[in-house]
Amino acid sequence: MTRPLIGAALALAMLVFGFGVYHAAGLLKVDHSMVNRPNEITAPALPGTVYLAQRGALYRFRNGSFTQITPEGGWMQPAVSPDGRQLVAVQRKTNYSDLFVLTATGRPTSQITHNNTSALPEYNHWVFYPRFSSDGSTLFYDYDHKDGYSSYQVDLAIFATPTASWRSSVQWSIPHPYTGGDVSPAPIQGGIVFTKFWIDDQSMVHSQVWLQARPRSQGVPLTPKDVNCVQPAVSADQKSIAMICTRGQTQSTELNVASYDATTATLGIPTTLVKAELIASPAFSPDGKSIAYLAPVTPGGAFQLWTVGVSGNPAPRAFTTTLGLDSSSSPVWVAN
Amino acid sequence: MELRRPSPMPRAWIVIAGFLIAGIAGLGAYFLPVFETAANSTLGAGSIPNLNPAATPTQPFTVLLLGSDDDAKFPPDRLNTQSMILIRVDPTTKQATMLSIPRDLWVPIPDQGTGKISTAYQIGGAKAAIAAVESNFKVHIDDYVWIGLNGLVKLIDELGGVNLFITNPVLDDFYPADLNPNGNPYDYYRIAVLPGASHLDGVRALQYARSRHGDQRGDFARSERQQLLLLAIKAKSKHWNIANLPAVANVMNGEIKTSIGLDRLRALLAISDDFDGTHIHRVVLLPPYTNEGYAAGQDVLFPDWGRILPLVHQSFP
Repeated sequence: MTRPLIGAALALAMLVFGFGVYHAAGLLKVDHSMVNRPNEITAPALPGTVYLAQRGALYRFRNGSFTQITPEGGWMQPAVSPDGRQLVAVQRKTNYSDLFVLTATGRPTSQITHNNTSALPEYNHWVFYPRFSSDGSTLFYDYDHKDGYSSYQVDLAIFATPTASWRSSVQWSIPHPYTGGDVSPAPIQGGIVFTKFWIDDQSMVHSQVWLQARPRSQGVPLTPKDVNCVQPAVSADQKSIAMICTRGQTQSTELNVASYDATTATLGIPTTLVKAELIASPAFSPDGKSIAYLAPVTPGGAFQLWTVGVSGNPAPRAFTTTLGLDSSSSPVWVAN
Repeated sequence: MELRRPSPMPRAWIVIAGFLIAGIAGLGAYFLPVFETAANSTLGAGSIPNLNPAATPTQPFTVLLLGSDDDAKFPPDRLNTQSMILIRVDPTTKQATMLSIPRDLWVPIPDQGTGKISTAYQIGGAKAAIAAVESNFKVHIDDYVWIGLNGLVKLIDELGGVNLFITNPVLDDFYPADLNPNGNPYDYYRIAVLPGASHLDGVRALQYARSRHGDQRGDFARSERQQLLLLAIKAKSKHWNIANLPAVANVMNGEIKTSIGLDRLRALLAISDDFDGTHIHRVVLLPPYTNEGYAAGQDVLFPDWGRILPLVHQSFP
């Protein structure tokens, strides 16, 4: 009687061992897909408030905790009015995107653009990268004004609209055709800075931080073509510009900061604050002493919130490690 | 007469053997998808011309990467190759070269006459695609890998996405909506892949690598983006280990075909850490290596072999 019991127990133990080996092998697998929602984690506190986007939702980061302020519904690229009382953000759908005004707590109050049409997909429009002027009177943004003669040409150009009425938009930039266009406007004393793309005779793509004083004016480059800089951010005092530069590399980026002289419309010699695999979307702190940016903490990982001092001190510091932040949505860092 | 009791040693060995077999069965079950995929996707050596199974990880070797739109627009056995990238890896010097072959390149195809090089696969499968590349570019190909659209999406999602620096916005109003097997494969939708450092899931990465309408450089830009995506996949898969293979095999089943056996795959994984982006030379056959033209009622690219062959033979001696 005992022998069959022992035999059965051993057989069961072998079966369990086999399953154990199966699952142990699975535990050795490297899993890169673990991403938390921001409101599932806490992080070291930053002064003020930072607005961020992840998986189609907007989040507010204050006192070390994240609050989800919109549902996951295509929300991205928040901008905050200078008085901090309202947001403008992009809501992106399959074929189009629109700008909405939201309260600081994320409740939509009005729709600024109406880019959806149920007709053919190509009749829809994109709108991206909203940014308030420093006095809050104007909203700059990107819009794909179509070329009526070439249905394949879709280039983003920078437009501006008065915030008092949200009507009568004015086209500011004239993009180089078939480059994807001009993006990431940032208002600055004397106009706007933005990223302009062009393709040279050797089919090399170049990106430059560009300064433009008036709608449809020629503008001037602030960075050399071979440094390939994108995503300019302007400090609150408008004396510094942060940007991401690649120097033509495909998997290596720099976070650079340079002084800006409005009288001569020139940048000083840039300082490289961070050099890493991939860095995105810098934004100055309200006091101009720090820069927030997005970058992975591990090679190939999802994007996290980092900060670095504008002088390089304090050193780069990751505030999150398990998020999957939208790297095309610059953090918006405000005082309150 | 008293029966002799069996000695306790054999019984102990039986128990140990039982646990060993159970453990091996557990491992076998875990890696079963790898063996299944290998069995389903690996083409016999004899069916590939000039296959060189003797190449070891220390010798240079070449792999032809083929990518096809495998949606309902095409019968499963009549796919052309939207993407053809020839890769040469030299494990000793730790150098690699990626040569993108334009899909519209107008060339003689062995046993098929003259046509776009992308149609070689459509008519004669991997064997014909390899023969077309070998005969025109005067190179030797050791192995090939074919992957379908859904396979690429699933692979990237299994990796947890890839990180890329998008050099300029990729906007396209006529991007094919053909990933859904139940949808109309001729539908299209709009895409906007925004510039800068990005973490892309499988669908967004495919949009980035496949779009061609909104770029001044058309197919050439697409070739370049495909190379960059390959580098990003390679960078991400660097962090894999062998325990990741079953999950990859599961998602890739039926979406990948290759002549690379498990032995070669293991060797490739072993040396993959030695290669980073700085040691990978990328070649795209822009004008003047190719020139746009018109043949047999279609837009094609005419090769300038006088320029192409010296360039190719620098990297593919």
